[in-house]
Amino acid sequence: MKVFINLKEWDFPNGTKFIDVVDIIREAKKNEPMIKTIREKTGKANIILFALNGRVVQPQEYESLEIKEGDNIRWFHPYAGG
Amino acid sequence: MKSIWNKILKVDLTARTCKTEQMPDEVYQKFLGGAGMNAYILWRECPRGTTTFDPANRLTFAPGPMQGLKQSGAAKWTAGAISPSINMNADSAATASFGIEIKEAGYDAIVVHGRSDKPVYVIVDDEKTEIKDAADLWGKNAYEAEDGIQEAEGEKFECVTIGQAGELGVRYANIQSRKKSFVGRCGLGAVMGSKMLKGIAIRGSQSVEVHDPKEVDRLNKEINKRLAELDKLNDEWLQIKRVGTALATELFAPQGNLPIKNYQLADFPSGVKNFHASNYAKQLNAKPWPCQYCTIQCHNNCEVKQGPYAYKGKGPEYESFAMVGFNTMVDDIKAVAYACELANLYSMDTISLGVVIAWAMECYEKGVITKKDTYGLDLSWGNAEAMVEIVRKIGTRADGLGYLLGEGTRIASERLGGGSEDWAVQMKGQEIAAHNWRAQYISALNYCTGVASGPNHERGNSQHIWVGHVRLPEWGIDEVENEERWSWNKTADRNAKFHDYCNVINSACHCKFMEFRGYTLTDLCNTINAATGMGWSLEDLRRCGDRITQLQKLLNIRYGWKKEHDFKYPKRFMEPVQEGPAAGKVPVGLEGAIMDYYKERGWDEEGRPTAAKLKEVGLEDFIE
Ligand code: SF4
Repeated sequence: MKVFINLKEWDFPNGTKFIDVVDIIREAKKNEPMIKTIREKTGKANIILFALNGRVVQPQEYESLEIKEGDNIRWFHPYAGG
Repeated sequence: MKSIWNKILKVDLTARTCKTEQMPDEVYQKFLGGAGMNAYILWRECPRGTTTFDPANRLTFAPGPMQGLKQSGAAKWTAGAISPSINMNADSAATASFGIEIKEAGYDAIVVHGRSDKPVYVIVDDEKTEIKDAADLWGKNAYEAEDGIQEAEGEKFECVTIGQAGELGVRYANIQSRKKSFVGRCGLGAVMGSKMLKGIAIRGSQSVEVHDPKEVDRLNKEINKRLAELDKLNDEWLQIKRVGTALATELFAPQGNLPIKNYQLADFPSGVKNFHASNYAKQLNAKPWPCQYCTIQCHNNCEVKQGPYAYKGKGPEYESFAMVGFNTMVDDIKAVAYACELANLYSMDTISLGVVIAWAMECYEKGVITKKDTYGLDLSWGNAEAMVEIVRKIGTRADGLGYLLGEGTRIASERLGGGSEDWAVQMKGQEIAAHNWRAQYISALNYCTGVASGPNHERGNSQHIWVGHVRLPEWGIDEVENEERWSWNKTADRNAKFHDYCNVINSACHCKFMEFRGYTLTDLCNTINAATGMGWSLEDLRRCGDRITQLQKLLNIRYGWKKEHDFKYPKRFMEPVQEGPAAGKVPVGLEGAIMDYYKERGWDEEGRPTAAKLKEVGLEDFIE
């Protein structure tokens, strides 16, 4: 099944849960300096946030939500500007 | 084309006339509005030889197709002219509601030229326009000027005004609106002052027609909801509305991105502690003060109730307190907030101001200036009282050092000598902002090659690939390694894309902070299409950004840019800091990166756009 993460095509088996995507992104970003800083400050692992087809996915939905063919997923970093 | 009026207002202060002019669709299809419109007006009306304080210089205030849409971030507008700091074309953006009112008054831009023989302000009340006497307001600060105009005309007018620094030609004078938003960079307030124009007040009652109102409405709802929900999901200390961009300090410090002691140090523990977001919130009593429609709400209103630095007003943004605080080693947050607000009242850009003061402090430390030059002030690093006092001297252009510092670090160091050029952290006459090139080399490349507004963190904000994790997957910037911040890998491509991205955003007129919080280029493209009916692809969007960048480059050349200017970066660029995450890092290889950037842009070895490139972006008729 093809889905798009930040517009890039990915292949996932049917039945893949949203949390699997979340884990992939979290893992890829975990050592970035700002992610580390925020994690240290907040004690929270769930720093990167996600939207699915334009709508925000609430963290409590990650486990239950199944992704579907053609889904458009975006991840966002909680940045401050400046 | 929709979401525009095909109409601009031309104000001639010499002849004291206000006339409307029709603008054809092709101009907007090529340049959108905002920064693109600024560049187009200069190209059309200010030939080679036009200089900054020449009455012929055009000062253009322009919203874009986003104004009038109720979308978060759609309160942006820009001003542009030939700048007194870089002596080339420049633009700078602000928010508040001035741009929205220009649109609601039925115009796509206000273009001011000529020079009045006495102080004036301009009133635009829908179709009715008038140039009025401002003798009573001349000599007043920028906020008093706004109050004075509103007292005379009514509170419903949105205003832009300048303070004393604009009147007196400080080369980094800004233009303020609503006592909270500023056309900050490149000294456009001094252009306004040179025209004897104290302010413009505008109100409108018209709604511009959009191509697909239902789609605009749907996009607004979806986008506004997404941005608000993302912000809410963040931990409280990460919510921008709490203290605005001030919260960046804690995120930038561990990356080595802060400018400390005229960019000489990597750490300033008491500064990091005192400018910490929670201390900011507590000491300055910060409350959100957002622009119209904004869900993110970075602006804040502060109040210091007692003491020598008591004030109520605009809370300093990251750039302001980083430059006026960290860069001068003043760690008293109240003093820094007060100094920044003083700068706002006089109408001075806090970025340039912070660099100028830090330069003067280094001159003082090295004995190039002494108490004899500083009005008896002890201009040592970290001296809050002296820092505040010197802001007053610059804002009023006091004889001596105050006047000199108002010229900016390039001219000041050339006049003062004593080796002080070596620590003048400027390029092309403009001071470098609060993003440290040692933390990501791409900043150095951006500062060297920016064409929109000289060296400018905001008109090519590629530093945010690392310091802010901004991604543009629509244009192929997504997977980025942390270590790449200290390499030239893909830098030419990324730098070019961020220059074009900033041009598109500043021409559509949208707030870039939205991209920090979940807004995407797809959102921007969809909104532009729904509003205008242009049916652009993401590639068309890039092409538009590219076209505006190329036009700005043509203007740079027209006004005297030479290749050597791109290579004359501050000496400090190659001086490493000794500790912290960026210890030992300097952008060696910058010269090669500049040449790679030229190639990427379709410029020749001399950094000039080739005829083929100009044809590719539809600018063949703009070749001079
Ligand atoms: S993020 Fe800040 S500058 Fe941008 S629109 Fe909102 S309040 Fe205004």
